[in-house]
Amino acid sequence: MFNLPTPHIGGPELFVLEFGDIVAYFSPYTALLFAFAVLFTVLVIVSRPERQVDIAFGGDAYYTKEVDPDLLRFQRFMAIACGLATLGAMVTGDVFNFTLFASMIGITNIGIVAAYRNRHVLNAAFQYGIVAMLATVPLFGGAAIILSSTGTLSMWELFGGAVAVPLIAKAFLVLGVMGEGMAPFYIAKAEITRAQGAPFILMVHVSSLLLFLRVMEIVISM
Amino acid sequence: MTPDRSIITRISATISRVENLTALYALLVVVVAVLGLVTLPFIAYHDDQLYPKMLNPASSLDPYDRGGVPFGTTPVKSQYPENSPYAGYVTTYLTPFSQWLADTTHHMGTTIVAHPGGIIDEILYNTRGFDTVVETSILFVAFAIASYLFRRDD
Repeated sequence: MFNLPTPHIGGPELFVLEFGDIVAYFSPYTALLFAFAVLFTVLVIVSRPERQVDIAFGGDAYYTKEVDPDLLRFQRFMAIACGLATLGAMVTGDVFNFTLFASMIGITNIGIVAAYRNRHVLNAAFQYGIVAMLATVPLFGGAAIILSSTGTLSMWELFGGAVAVPLIAKAFLVLGVMGEGMAPFYIAKAEITRAQGAPFILMVHVSSLLLFLRVMEIVISM
Repeated sequence: MTPDRSIITRISATISRVENLTALYALLVVVVAVLGLVTLPFIAYHDDQLYPKMLNPASSLDPYDRGGVPFGTTPVKSQYPENSPYAGYVTTYLTPFSQWLADTTHHMGTTIVAHPGGIIDEILYNTRGFDTVVETSILFVAFAIASYLFRRDD
């Protein structure tokens, strides 16, 4: 019944999952991304936070950094939510559904970063929050232009050669994903990877990377 | 601030500040938006819409009036009708009070979103139900973040 009309990327369909008009599909490409996201979500669930030690130079003194259980619990929750949103974004077969998952990834990334108390981390989280909020305009704008100019949102129809998606809609979509997936820049600048609770930060990087790979597939196939 | 820095050094120094990334992204958005405005006349509206929207200003349910008879058979367009076998059975649902409000006043359309038992939209809840789930999840995550940040100082 369903025949994924994109032989040039991702290969043949392996498995489809129907949610009404939203038909998620597993091609070798998306299945690989999905497996990657599953792996990292499982790692987040089972991993424990680093117990970090600051060593004072020139002496035997060292400071152990405290891991706040509340912060740990909240960040783990946000990281798992981010992983689930990434899972959805990897396999969804609908443009609007994809934009929704992308904005959910953005907001969970804000949650992971905003849980810290350090001033410079919160500054970075604030800046990222502005970008993520701004990015929803091109993100959903791109989906809206696709719907109005082609009359459909299903990737199964859009990936076929019959419908022409305007270039500007693709540009908006990429721009929106850029804004939502910009978190690693702020993570790197604010050196959050060296703050306590480190393993959960990795989810930010993984979700952004996978989101970019997925939007590239969508934009190239459309 | 040595004057003989190369252009790459200057660009790198500018975007290495977190505060500048927002401006850079905003600039990108403006450039693409201007391009979009320029190419907008060349984008044609597709007449055969999958989710058609009719506006009937005379209806008291105005922006939300999808038409159809409750518990009748209403044709609902969907991309894959075989995935939604029950589409069209219940297009809208109004509680008796809402029905009375809609019959007597012209303001039901303005209150319908905040009204319990107001409306069940077939498109949203049947053919695109997964979207509704994700939207609610986004709201839930946002509330979780807000409540954590609010209660943190206890």
